[in-house]
Amino acid sequence: MLATLDHVTKRYVRTEGLHDVTTGFPTGEVVGILGLNGSGKTTLLKLLAGLLFPTEGTVRVFDGPPRPNRSRMVYLGETDALWPWMDPAGAVVFMRGLYKDFDERRFAALLELLEVPPRRTKAMSKGERGRLRLAMALARGAKLLLLDEPLAGIDLLSREKILGSLVREWHTDETILLSTHEVAEAEGLFERVLYLRDGRIALDAKAEELREEGRSAVDAFREVLG
Amino acid sequence: MRPLRTLLWLEWRRSRLWAATLLASLLFWAWGLHQVRFLDVGRQVATRAGLLSLAAGIGAIVLCLMIGRIRSETRHGQYQVLLLTPPTGYAHVLARFGFAIATAVVYYVILGGLFWWTFARAGVGFDAEAAIELLLSCPLYGVGLVVAPALAWTMLLMVFISAYRVSGPGWVPGTVMILASPFLLRWIVDGLARVAYELPGWRLLDSVRVAAESLPQDPEMQIELVRASYLGVPQEPFWGMIALTAIMLLIAGRLWQEVEG
Repeated sequence: MLATLDHVTKRYVRTEGLHDVTTGFPTGEVVGILGLNGSGKTTLLKLLAGLLFPTEGTVRVFDGPPRPNRSRMVYLGETDALWPWMDPAGAVVFMRGLYKDFDERRFAALLELLEVPPRRTKAMSKGERGRLRLAMALARGAKLLLLDEPLAGIDLLSREKILGSLVREWHTDETILLSTHEVAEAEGLFERVLYLRDGRIALDAKAEELREEGRSAVDAFREVLG
Repeated sequence: MRPLRTLLWLEWRRSRLWAATLLASLLFWAWGLHQVRFLDVGRQVATRAGLLSLAAGIGAIVLCLMIGRIRSETRHGQYQVLLLTPPTGYAHVLARFGFAIATAVVYYVILGGLFWWTFARAGVGFDAEAAIELLLSCPLYGVGLVVAPALAWTMLLMVFISAYRVSGPGWVPGTVMILASPFLLRWIVDGLARVAYELPGWRLLDSVRVAAESLPQDPEMQIELVRASYLGVPQEPFWGMIALTAIMLLIAGRLWQEVEG
């Protein structure tokens, strides 16, 4: 397993983000992390990224604790966190200097594919910024990609470009965990779907099995979480 | 992969407007010095020295504000991308402190130059050794004694607040640290005062002092100046504050490692 959670509970001051979750993610799987707002999707991804520590239980990534392995994974947070002065050229300097797995040629190709304009992020639309962030993430050779709501608040055309590039850029030795509310648009990408409700796993299913049962990920979403 | 160089570049991109504004403010101070036109040369030098001391104090405050903008790295309570980068917390702290201290050195060296200009306008000529003291040694002593520890303290304060922000209100530990600091500072100053001049004094500005004595002054004051035996400035507080700065930066780096997103 590339990443595992073993009886993980994460409590915040007044709420519980995750409750006694046990699951694992093997190499080369694209997993949809689905759930309503506050179901624990972001908490799960942040625990795997080492940005949060579990209150109980153990999180392991690449056979070790997450934080020392953060150079081997990509975490794309839901917040639009790029500096307003940063442009694609600045992003190259930033990524090349801090990540040894950054591939500059792949980044250039992704910028073209995602149609990211060569201007500062403060002059970009939200969709353009989202595409730049994704290009920065995908241009790395990381084996674990934790993508938290990369489609949120982004226009339809940008969403299609992002999903298209995810399909195109995915390698079989990479594991992608993608949380999204755009279930219908993204479900073609998923091999497995993990439905979370109130910090617990409500359903963990292979997308193929759902399809064989004549259900889509959206149908299962409505049944399990509706 | 060049983490420290990239982090310094990042700091330059983030803070260059602050640094440029601070350095540009020296033009304002130079203009202010130019406006002082008393007939009494002694008063002229004293007023100009006062203005330059004010510039030095304001510069330190601006530098602290610049280095303390750790909050600018968050959006909606979430950290920006830096915490997810492989470099250690020590590298982040070192890059930020390095940029601020480099700005401080440039600022205070130019201030030293303004002091030299002030004296030159009052008719006091310095030899090369005195000029070097004024331009390099004095800024170095001031930066090491006051500015560097102030910057390290601010850095530590902001990282300390950030470290607690995730699980609770960060202002509580921040307030505790601010309230505790004056007591700690007093204890440190008392300690350093006790050991001062154990080592030979650093005869900083001795030639400047001698040159300044040649200025026409109040006869009583001149007698005082002649009588005072100049021991130089003590070395111990300088080295003590440098050590304290290093300790605070180490703690800030360790805390940065622990800060959650």
